[in-house]
Amino acid sequence: MKRSKHGKIYRQSLSNRLVHWGAAFSIFSLIISGFGQMPMYKRYNIVKLPGAEWLGDYSITLLMHYVGAVILIFIVFYHMFVHLFQKEYDAIPKRGDVKESWKIIKAIITKGEEPPSEKYLAEQRLAYLAIGVTVLILVITGIIKVIKNISIAFIPHSIVTISTTLHNFATFFLIFLIIAHLAAFLIKANRKLLPGMITGYVDEEYVKHRHIKWYKKLVDKKNRS
Amino acid sequence: MSNRLTRREFIKNSSGAVVLGTVLLTGADKVFAQTKPSTDKGTVIDLTQCDGCSAKDTPACVLACRTKNQDKFPKVDSDHLKPYWPQKTYEDWSDKQDISNRLTPYNWTFVDKVVVEHNGSTKEVFVPKRCMHCDNPTCAGVCPFSAIKKYENGAVVINDNQCMGGAKCRDVCPWDIPQRQAGVGLYMKLAPEYLGGGVMYKCDFCADLLKVGKEPACVNACPKGAISFGTKQSMRELAYNRAKEVAGFVYGDKENGGTSTFYVSKVPFEKIDKAIKKQKQETNDFKPGRPTMEVNIENKLDSFSGMALSAAIAPIAGIAAAGFAAYNKLKGEKNNHEEE
Ligand code: HEM
Ligand code: SF4
Ligand code: SF4
Repeated sequence: MKRSKHGKIYRQSLSNRLVHWGAAFSIFSLIISGFGQMPMYKRYNIVKLPGAEWLGDYSITLLMHYVGAVILIFIVFYHMFVHLFQKEYDAIPKRGDVKESWKIIKAIITKGEEPPSEKYLAEQRLAYLAIGVTVLILVITGIIKVIKNISIAFIPHSIVTISTTLHNFATFFLIFLIIAHLAAFLIKANRKLLPGMITGYVDEEYVKHRHIKWYKKLVDKKNRS
Repeated sequence: MSNRLTRREFIKNSSGAVVLGTVLLTGADKVFAQTKPSTDKGTVIDLTQCDGCSAKDTPACVLACRTKNQDKFPKVDSDHLKPYWPQKTYEDWSDKQDISNRLTPYNWTFVDKVVVEHNGSTKEVFVPKRCMHCDNPTCAGVCPFSAIKKYENGAVVINDNQCMGGAKCRDVCPWDIPQRQAGVGLYMKLAPEYLGGGVMYKCDFCADLLKVGKEPACVNACPKGAISFGTKQSMRELAYNRAKEVAGFVYGDKENGGTSTFYVSKVPFEKIDKAIKKQKQETNDFKPGRPTMEVNIENKLDSFSGMALSAAIAPIAGIAAAGFAAYNKLKGEKNNHEEE
């Protein structure tokens, strides 16, 4: 599986890339259509923009929300189980990650030396946890909201109210996290990761400098085989 | 109408699973409807009896409803009324509280009057209108704050402390029942100019009276006995029996997927609906508060049952795909080793 290219390192498998972009795409469509469920687009005159009329139609935005949700749920379960089956836990936070992420941020600001990192930086692992938990909350509360709309199902109103409130707040938190995720690429050092999510490969030089522990493991593995 | 149909087809055709799911779930729906021991209450509104209290200023049921619910009507401080930014308007009925010939936040039932041709003669028909208390209320299903609840006894009730007044419930109700009053409720405590629009008000089936075993105020008030109250089951039977007696029709049993309100009329409801629409056209009255009576109008939530099934299958499909991917990778690694 270890395809090699000169001066490049294979970082993100096709499976990972599909999960990432599938989730990004479906979450984007969920946010657009989710806001349509708050009667927002009419109120703020967005429906008057050319080509935006459909945003004011609940039956269209709700259908879009359902389609987005089905795709996202599929991806979330695929993602959780494929890593479970393959015992890959690189992105799960480790003890001391909070402290370590501060060190990395300090190093970036002072242009100092970063502590040696694994495949993912400490802040990447923390961001993964935050986004993962938020998306899970959205999925679970979203599923409860779907069930309550089926005429044969009965869910106590108190649970529906709690789910709705969590769903709404988690949405805003997720938007905040997405903005933070994108803002991370304002930092030059992080931009080297972008090709990895597109082609799968990152520069070997970059890995050598920044993900020293991971690089050592890769070299060890190569020497062994 | 044609617009709605194509949209529905669009939804139903979006995937095979959707169609399958819809069939499965509507089938299951019927089984449940038959076996569920009914705690639901219902009413029959007999249009062959109602004369709109022609001799009085205000029909008795309307008056009874207004008196009974006086304390629940919005109390607005008009100094604090502001347009819904960036719109230039807001919905305020506080200076029109006396209006009793349409639905407003201060008038939860009214009697519509139409003239129809039927069997060669012209007839006046009086139609008391209010919330139908649907079996699967669209308004409650889509409320983004879950502010609307359907009670065990069938009453569909808006919580005025939880409502932000976005009026989505009115948009999705087949009869535009809930009506908005600006300047009251939760949104006034947040950012009143920029978020929310007030509180939605409508008939609550006199839920407080039902709780203590009493009848709704309007039922009691009718001098002609045109409104009957009882278990939903018995009301449905009563409606169909009465319809048979007068060779008439029932409205409310199929509409929006089923409701707790059964109208009985000698005149087909298609004609009543047409007459209302014509009158609205003539008086140029398209504001919510004067509902039409479309026959067999569908419940928009039902078209999504199939999508719900896809949502239920998605986790299983995700896990299966993960197993498949992991197995393939394992096999690939093994082959790699064997080649070496
Ligand atoms: C991660 C991305 C998601 C975002 C950003 C998001 C956002 C939103 C927002 C802002 C609303 C409007 C609030 C409301 O109507 O309560 C909403 C509603 C809703 N969401 Fe989501 N959501 C997400 C995921 C999901 C998922 C995974 C599901 C289902 C499995 C789901 C199902 C629903 C449903 C059913 C509604 C409201 C419509 C209804 O009540 O029928 N959402 N969402
Ligand atoms: S008639 Fe309209 S407001 Fe009343 S329960 Fe049905 S959908 Fe809701
Ligand atoms: S049931 Fe109660 S609230 Fe509803 S119309 Fe009759 S009197 Fe008014």
